[in-house]
Amino acid sequence: MTNKLIDEIRSSLDNGEIDSHMLFEEAVTKAKEYQKEYNCFVTILDEKQEENGNSILRGIPYALKDNISTKGILTTASSNILKDYIPLYDATVYKKLKEAGAVLMGKTTLDELAMGGTGTTCHTGIVRNPWDKRRMIGGSSAGSAACVALGIVPFSIGSDTGDSIRKPAAYGGVVGYKPTYGRVSRYGLFAFASSLDHVGVFARSVKDVCYVMDVIKGHDDKDMTSLVDHDGVYIDNINRSVCGKKLFYIKEAIDIDSNSGELKKIIDNFNTTIEKCRELGMIVEEVSFRKDLLEAIYPAYMCISCAEATSNNSNLTGIAFGNRVDGHSINDIMIKTRTKGFSELIKRRFVLGSYVLQKENQEKLFLNAGRIRRLIVDKMNELFKNYDGLIMPSIGEIAPFFDKDSDRLSDEYLILGNHLVIGNFGGFPSISIPSGFVDKMPVSVNITGRAREDALVLNIANKLEEVLGYRGLVKENE
Amino acid sequence: MSSYIPTIGLEVHCELKSNSKNFSSSKNGEGVVNSNLSVVDIGYPGILPVVNKEAVRKSLMVALALNCEIVEKLSFDRKNYYYPDLPKGYQITQFANPIGINGYVIINVDGSERKITIHDTHLEEDTANMDHLETYSLIDYNRAGIPLLETVSDPCMHSSKEAIAYLETLRNIFLYLDASDAKADMGQIRVDINVSLQREDENKLGTRVEIKNINSFATVKEVIEVEIKRQQEILESGGKIEQETRRYDEVNKKTVFMRGKVDAIDYKYYREPNIPEIKITEEFIKKIKKDMPTLEYERKRKYINDYGISFIDAATLTKDKKLSDYFEDIISYGCQPKDTSNIIVGFLLGYLNKNDKGISSINIASKDFSDVIKMMTDGKISNKQLKDIFTKSLDEDKNILEIAKMTGNQISDRKQIREIIKEVFNDNSKIIEDYKNGKNVKGFIMGLIMKKTAGKVNPSLTNEILAEELEKL
Amino acid sequence: MITKDILKKLASNLMFEMEEEEYDTLEKEFAIFLKQMDLIAHIKDVDGVEPMTFPFELDINDHFLRSDVANNEINFDDMKVNVKDYEENKIKVPKVVE
Repeated sequence: MTNKLIDEIRSSLDNGEIDSHMLFEEAVTKAKEYQKEYNCFVTILDEKQEENGNSILRGIPYALKDNISTKGILTTASSNILKDYIPLYDATVYKKLKEAGAVLMGKTTLDELAMGGTGTTCHTGIVRNPWDKRRMIGGSSAGSAACVALGIVPFSIGSDTGDSIRKPAAYGGVVGYKPTYGRVSRYGLFAFASSLDHVGVFARSVKDVCYVMDVIKGHDDKDMTSLVDHDGVYIDNINRSVCGKKLFYIKEAIDIDSNSGELKKIIDNFNTTIEKCRELGMIVEEVSFRKDLLEAIYPAYMCISCAEATSNNSNLTGIAFGNRVDGHSINDIMIKTRTKGFSELIKRRFVLGSYVLQKENQEKLFLNAGRIRRLIVDKMNELFKNYDGLIMPSIGEIAPFFDKDSDRLSDEYLILGNHLVIGNFGGFPSISIPSGFVDKMPVSVNITGRAREDALVLNIANKLEEVLGYRGLVKENE
Repeated sequence: MSSYIPTIGLEVHCELKSNSKNFSSSKNGEGVVNSNLSVVDIGYPGILPVVNKEAVRKSLMVALALNCEIVEKLSFDRKNYYYPDLPKGYQITQFANPIGINGYVIINVDGSERKITIHDTHLEEDTANMDHLETYSLIDYNRAGIPLLETVSDPCMHSSKEAIAYLETLRNIFLYLDASDAKADMGQIRVDINVSLQREDENKLGTRVEIKNINSFATVKEVIEVEIKRQQEILESGGKIEQETRRYDEVNKKTVFMRGKVDAIDYKYYREPNIPEIKITEEFIKKIKKDMPTLEYERKRKYINDYGISFIDAATLTKDKKLSDYFEDIISYGCQPKDTSNIIVGFLLGYLNKNDKGISSINIASKDFSDVIKMMTDGKISNKQLKDIFTKSLDEDKNILEIAKMTGNQISDRKQIREIIKEVFNDNSKIIEDYKNGKNVKGFIMGLIMKKTAGKVNPSLTNEILAEELEKL
Repeated sequence: MITKDILKKLASNLMFEMEEEEYDTLEKEFAIFLKQMDLIAHIKDVDGVEPMTFPFELDINDHFLRSDVANNEINFDDMKVNVKDYEENKIKVPKVVE
């Protein structure tokens, strides 16, 4: 049953066909079964926690990305430096799900410290794509995407700083939602880049995402950046007509001169998708967006995210917590602990982050990246005066094979590989939903809307999902 | 040999009084080791800061008292560095937009006033506490996160005297506002000192040297003098002062090298992303201004200009706000301010000192105090009687008005005095004979009158009337 | 110009060490990154705007500040589970020399 949608599970729970224990056992059994092949989990709980809440999620099992603080339960951020760390407090998102009666069954694998996009840098090994074991599922919320794709749980929680929910959702054929910045409290989310981090949801339908969002959203006194506005109950708004809504896509991303057969098929799929939008009565137009700004997205993102990450991870020294390595002096301890505890990739990112923040470099690097961010967000807001959303292929490729060198900073400007960051720059609500298959691998479409208008984005995505026909898509493996 | 002018700048860190810490709800105050804690204080992964309204209120109050321009929108920045007493690996502070800038205080050194300008005052958080033992150190996080207000002066002081006057003025502002207890021995107020020397004929400041973390005003004075001497010796021998950071060796009374310019830490300041800009409303500022007590400097001026109290007495009265408040309360009931000041400064403080007591031990209601002063001003009792009344009231902890009543009124009725004098004349015929014979016995006769009335006659009136009566003889 | 020495110093200030080969990879990454950032510096309009540090205006004022109520959440007993070395309820480290 864990591979079904929430309505169905709820129904079976309510009429006594199944109970939450059975669901928990089912989830855990499947998790263990798939663990060796796909490596979705860092921790699989062996005991079901009490469920005390009373919402639609009561008794339903789910998973949390392992960079979300769970009191008394190992939380590692998939990094060696935290491999034995037991938090002393609960993240707000976890607290809310507990209060709603949802049942945590495991903590999922991620790219180390959430700083990666391949699902291959977790300290416990790589995460494989349920649709094709030779391929990655992307990251950083790799395990959270995979366990939903595999039907282990109906929903999971992830985090998105540059595309870390929406990219693995795209590669994994599931729905991935990054809400408006501050819509879900970040208290308890291990910080990667605080001004770009978002807590979000994986599920197999937009409706299921809404069920979860309605529980986890809301102002939190513990997070000064959390939104105060009450923007209604999402589930009540997802079936409104979207006739007359206006969407745009970026000309420079779609008008590509490429030899890649794969890319052509993805663009074809996208064109089909926007036709379906038009059939729903929506207007979809092509808009030109400055190429120089689009090409600046990736370096600006690297600059800001690495800088913030370097600062955010300065607490990892082994002194009050963390995998302390002994040394003859306090500096020796900190150096040995951090040298051993971080992977080489993370260290390279920190060096870059540290460099751009140096007094003599800030103006041309860190601050310029911030200026690019503003130019891009301002441009988007200008467009959002005339359009309700940006619609794009989530990514310009299907899930890559493992041997591709994708964590080295490369020189290619693939707009389709980087546009999702726009959602983080401006805190815009952004959802990726499956839109078809190319070469037997899932492909996905992304809708990004105005800040604070989560309800509208979910509404549009829901109506589109209905006509695309991939609601509930799940990869069952024997 | 050229003469050198020293220039001093001071950075004063003062722990603010509040119930909870600056960015978390754990207790700001006494407590068992590692018990006043929140997960935020330890810097565990995933924590977020939440700004304390009271810390902001007190900071704004201090900034206003320092005559600063107040910031419109409050924002914070990160100061990044690694040290075991800094759990997050960064301190949340204000670098780009301090809460108050371009302020000043007026200090008084040897009778003359000087304006010391203040570059800024900014709100930040304190670090954890470390105990250093033989081979290891122990960390206590109770102090980590306590609100700290740092006030940076301009480099405009030129002697240790000015520096100490500035520190005492600043400290008293904190005490007046109840913003901090500012107890140096408890580490609640700490000073970083910047010293540079320039030749008299030079018109730009010399290279400055910073001496960090001085824990008492007496030590500040020492450090300034030691450092000036050190720099002077180097310059006089033809050497050059290097920009560096030093610390103070209290045992050997020397400043010691810590790190040089080359090793200067780049703190990589950038905006704290977890705290959005906070608009300071007019309402908030209005209320703070309304709640602000009149400060030491303004009170001194008023006492001197409006009440005719001497500079020294005004300084004494305003040194401790509790005393000044008491004084102002007393005179609000209508008694003469100068008389009141005289009795307080000339008698009361001395009494307290002698008996090792503090102002808070005084149990005399302001109105009663005022009434007794009025009795003296109106001539009903003498100055001596006043002091006696006070002494008795304080010694025996009895109500002062009752004691005043018992002591009785001073005799100031002319007719009554004349009667008494005539009685004394009648009772002491031999003395009168002596007077008639030219002997100078007026003082002796005064003594007899005083004895007869137990000192209750008004002395000046008695003198006058006695002279008249003696004339008649 | 980024040299290995500069990179090593940066790593050292970050309290960690890296393998020699990693510095080679890092040098290449820096070269690409700095080239990209150089292009950014030449983008039209870049100079004319303020850097963005928050995704959008949150419009909060002093009413949103936290009330000054004390509430201790944890104590040393809670902390112990993650502390390697301690004594007298304080975290123990080799002597820190100022």
